[in-house]
Amino acid sequence: MTTPQMDITGDVCPMTFVKVKMGLQRVPPLGTLTVRLKEEALKNVISSLKTEGHRVTNVSREEGNFLLEVTKAG
Amino acid sequence: MSEADFKELKKGGMMRQAEAGLFSVRLHVVGGRLATPQLRAIREAADRFGRGEIHLTARQGVEIPHVRQDALAAVKEFLAPSGVGVGVCGPTIRTVTACQGCRVCPSGVIDSPELADMVDRELYGKPVPHKFKVGISGCVNNCMKAEENDVGIKGWIDPRWESPACTFCGVCEAVCPTKAIILSAGDGKLVIDPALCIGCGDCITSCPTGNMREMNRGYRVFAGGKFGRRPSLGRRILGVLGTKEEAMASILAVLDFFREHGKPRERFGDTLLRTGFPALETFVTGRTGLP
Repeated sequence: MTTPQMDITGDVCPMTFVKVKMGLQRVPPLGTLTVRLKEEALKNVISSLKTEGHRVTNVSREEGNFLLEVTKAG
Repeated sequence: MSEADFKELKKGGMMRQAEAGLFSVRLHVVGGRLATPQLRAIREAADRFGRGEIHLTARQGVEIPHVRQDALAAVKEFLAPSGVGVGVCGPTIRTVTACQGCRVCPSGVIDSPELADMVDRELYGKPVPHKFKVGISGCVNNCMKAEENDVGIKGWIDPRWESPACTFCGVCEAVCPTKAIILSAGDGKLVIDPALCIGCGDCITSCPTGNMREMNRGYRVFAGGKFGRRPSLGRRILGVLGTKEEAMASILAVLDFFREHGKPRERFGDTLLRTGFPALETFVTGRTGLP
């Protein structure tokens, strides 16, 4: 199964996290979602994910943006 | 009435107005908090003794303007049963300002009203070489503008990096608003520059692995700030203090220094221009034993 991906580089807070939440609805518990986002969105998106019990299991960079691998809460 | 009498009245919070015979009566407010019975009493007093007008001051204070000289004693007497005291002016320790702190504000790191009450109880109205203001911000968002005060306090989070599970993903470095974090993945090192760190804790909240943790959470002290005609910003002294008692001890030590070195009508920031900032730091560290 391929990991679903989403791009929120065009969004600003709070839509960034809203979209990630919507994306996670399509993922089963403990499944992963890859999110492409801008540096400015890192803090709010990661802290909101942690608050909701999800985990960021990998971080990489791609052409000035960040790619987060998010593992959905169990 | 002599100038000396006016001065005494001013010290006691009764400020002569431009219009002869009228006074603006300053009330004792701590951290901008008033209970509704106090507010009702203040409203009633403004109607009875003033012109039904209340002035909210720049530092969370409340004044009742347009009170006639012959009614000053009566206002004081009228307000006292509701627990509303009259304020201070002149060369004294002034209104202690504070935000709502961690018990109300989600961003709060320290309980600002609690420390404000403590400072107020111990110091409000005490004589000093020149007016002395204390302001307390619950976090580094600094709503109470700590650096504008003779002594300012900010809630502060000191981060500590732990290496074991760090993946050197670079999120902390990217989110740090002051670029205080330098990462060198090759050497397996991460350095936080304490001079640049502003204590926001963003690196901690956004660390995916939990390797950036809180080392200290507490009170950061700033000294020598003022606004007025020649504004200058307070500078930080000491490390992050863990308790309100330590914060209080640091304020008392700063005041001892001011009383020892300050000249009459000289703001503390100007005293520090003469003595140099390191003299204060040495004094406060020696006096309190705080780091």
